[in-house]
Amino acid sequence: MSKEKAKKNNAIISALKKSNMTAMGVILILMIIIASVMSPYFLDIYNLQALVRDLAFIGMIGIGQSLLLLIGELDLSVGKIASLCGILAGMMMVNYGFNPYLSLVIALILGLVFGAINGLIITKLRLNSMVATIGMQGVYGGINLVLTKGKAITGIPESIYIFGKGNVGPIPIPFIFTIIVLICVLFLVKKTKTGRYIYAIGNSREAAKILGIKVDRIRIMIYSIVGFISALAGILYVARLGSSQSAIGENWPMNSIASSVIGGVSLTGGIGNPAGALIGAAVISIIQNMIVLFGVNVYWQSAVSGIVVVIAISFSSISDMIRERKQRKIKVN
Amino acid sequence: MKVLEAHDITKLFPGVVALDSVDVAFEAGRIHCIIGENGAGKSTLIKCLTGVYEPEKGEVLIDGQNALKNKALFDKVAYVPQEIDLFGYMSVAENLFLPYEKSGFKGLVNQKVLEERAVPLLERFRIPVKPDELVRDISVSSQQLLQIARATVHEDYEVLMLDEPTTSLTTEDTQILFEIIREIQADNKAVIFISHKLEEIFQLGSELTVFRNGKKVAYSEIKDIDIPWVISQMTGRKVIQDQRYCSAKVSDDVLLEVEHLTGERFTDISFHLKKGEILGFSGLVGAGRSELMQAIFGYLPVYSGKVKLDGEEWKLGDTNYSVKHGFIYLPEERKKQGILPELSIRENISISVLEKLQSGIGISRKKESELAQEVIDTYDVKTPDSDKAIQFLSGGNQQKVIIGRSMCCEPKVLVFDEPTKGIDVGTKAEIYRLMKELAEEKNIGIILISSEMEEVKKCSNRIIALYEGKKAGEYDAEADKEAILSAIIGVNTKENQLKSE
Repeated sequence: MSKEKAKKNNAIISALKKSNMTAMGVILILMIIIASVMSPYFLDIYNLQALVRDLAFIGMIGIGQSLLLLIGELDLSVGKIASLCGILAGMMMVNYGFNPYLSLVIALILGLVFGAINGLIITKLRLNSMVATIGMQGVYGGINLVLTKGKAITGIPESIYIFGKGNVGPIPIPFIFTIIVLICVLFLVKKTKTGRYIYAIGNSREAAKILGIKVDRIRIMIYSIVGFISALAGILYVARLGSSQSAIGENWPMNSIASSVIGGVSLTGGIGNPAGALIGAAVISIIQNMIVLFGVNVYWQSAVSGIVVVIAISFSSISDMIRERKQRKIKVN
Repeated sequence: MKVLEAHDITKLFPGVVALDSVDVAFEAGRIHCIIGENGAGKSTLIKCLTGVYEPEKGEVLIDGQNALKNKALFDKVAYVPQEIDLFGYMSVAENLFLPYEKSGFKGLVNQKVLEERAVPLLERFRIPVKPDELVRDISVSSQQLLQIARATVHEDYEVLMLDEPTTSLTTEDTQILFEIIREIQADNKAVIFISHKLEEIFQLGSELTVFRNGKKVAYSEIKDIDIPWVISQMTGRKVIQDQRYCSAKVSDDVLLEVEHLTGERFTDISFHLKKGEILGFSGLVGAGRSELMQAIFGYLPVYSGKVKLDGEEWKLGDTNYSVKHGFIYLPEERKKQGILPELSIRENISISVLEKLQSGIGISRKKESELAQEVIDTYDVKTPDSDKAIQFLSGGNQQKVIIGRSMCCEPKVLVFDEPTKGIDVGTKAEIYRLMKELAEEKNIGIILISSEMEEVKKCSNRIIALYEGKKAGEYDAEADKEAILSAIIGVNTKENQLKSE
């Protein structure tokens, strides 16, 4: 094969690699068009607001999760951290009469601490992140139950409802928070030293250590950030419901991983963009919304949404396969 | 009777002739030893004789039949690799008989029967373990013997090929192994014994073939030869000194002092490195060279000992400290530990100096690209642009990027661990020239770890030989290749140590 052709092939490969997210963006737009053509209610402002409010939560957790996926790890305790922080905030406000805003800030800090605990355990005891966070989600979930005895905490001050239920113009406030989180995370990942180190660690932890990167410190930091983002999502959800419940965030671990992967973030680390997680979250939310709008039988909803998610995830692995084949061709020649 | 023959086999790799028209034959009832330096072509030969590689030219005959045409014949060659490749979490008996079909177990496997059948084998090989013990729980010696026992389980083997079987055996177990090998020889099987240890060859072998640079250079009955003859055959009588790349500007200032350093794979090592000097570390694979350097670098633990750089106490166990203070390690496992494969050349270069590339907010793309271009130009990296993912560069160009990146950190000491591994001959010379330049012009102290004797001799001002984690000698650049070679294979170790003291 001529050099030029090889060069062209390389260009295709890098385009394909970078375009996982772009491709999903195109698919997302197609889905929106299909949905609006097939259902007159899809573009209804109330439907869109409900949809965006939903995706704000999956998106926010997904953006956090994608940071961990970038270093080749994951956190399955995000949902339980979210509900625990929501409950702690609720207890401070309702049972102990703390200032509501102060309670929210304390809950956020506690989320950071829970994340840091995850990170410390995983790095210092050299545990696998998946197994360790399965254990930790049991711990956080258990504390939830001890504190609430399974009952919801009601009587949350109405002054904070705006964070969950309010809109700025037509845009739901949780979504604005998600965008702020995304901008901060993108700045971290794309513009700072730490961001570069995250990608380096995801590419090769050994190489990163040999380069003198403080690998464990950065890992703990990311777990802390993810804990903080989880707490933020948790308290926003409390504000949305008007009560603290231990059931908050039940599906978040799986949905956050799925949305990251759909958005082109590699499970093995080093490849992807956190913005992809938001696109992935939008895909998942629209699927769920369409299922409701099309009147799919209630008992079938979960199966259908599962199938569509699997199909969506396959897009990125299929493009990986194409990439590998191209690479092999270049090597052979 | 000749059971395994290779006729005129040639094996080519890009840029290298790994085997050059080799003829060799192995007879039943004989122990045929093979010796040669690293890179002499031994492992390529093994892979051709076991059917892993297909040679470009020539044929392999097993029992007189062409094995390249009938691959099933390769089953008659039982091969025991140098590294232990047993299943640690399975029992001794299971390990012996896997894959079950080949050992005559059809259908369901009964653990009791497996264990019963394992007992006589374990007795024969004098392995003091129970058949139901997990392999990870038995000693390394036993594991090594078990590997050999496993190779002989298949009744129809004719040739037993042992690659450095004694590296992890105690002296006692080595003697047991030799007895067993002699029994196998008495069974009229052909034994191929590959070893670096000359005493063992003279104790055990019937005949010897010496390889050098991909060629068979000598063959003899063991009874007709002695150790000096073998060493002279291995090194080649005329020493090729055409091109030297050692530093011409070695300063008198001592840069690095290492005193009585002990870690997992090395014991009581002391040496010093001067500014502008290239210090070669020679030794066999597993002699502890990489481990020693990685320990000074902070990647592996140090048990005891002291290190000083520029007269100041060196902090051990922190790679970040080492990089910040000018001690940089360029790993042998370039793909796994050197490059960040998915990132671009630009990002691979800038990663260790990001704080210098800041502008208003965050990292400046412009400064980063300029730095990358500078490295690409200075070190002559062949690439269309710096945005290409580094994994698509050739090994040599990746190495140049890594060297360029390391130079951005203003190092005082650079450790090159097998810098030319998997790199073609032309680029090798470029890397040598680079090392020389860095030593002479930037006054950097360079440590070169290499398994290729030629490379160490060509590039080093001084050479330290390691053998089994201990310093086996120290030589200047003009020292005899024979002396260094003897030291790294453990001949006359004591004498050499006295000399170095």
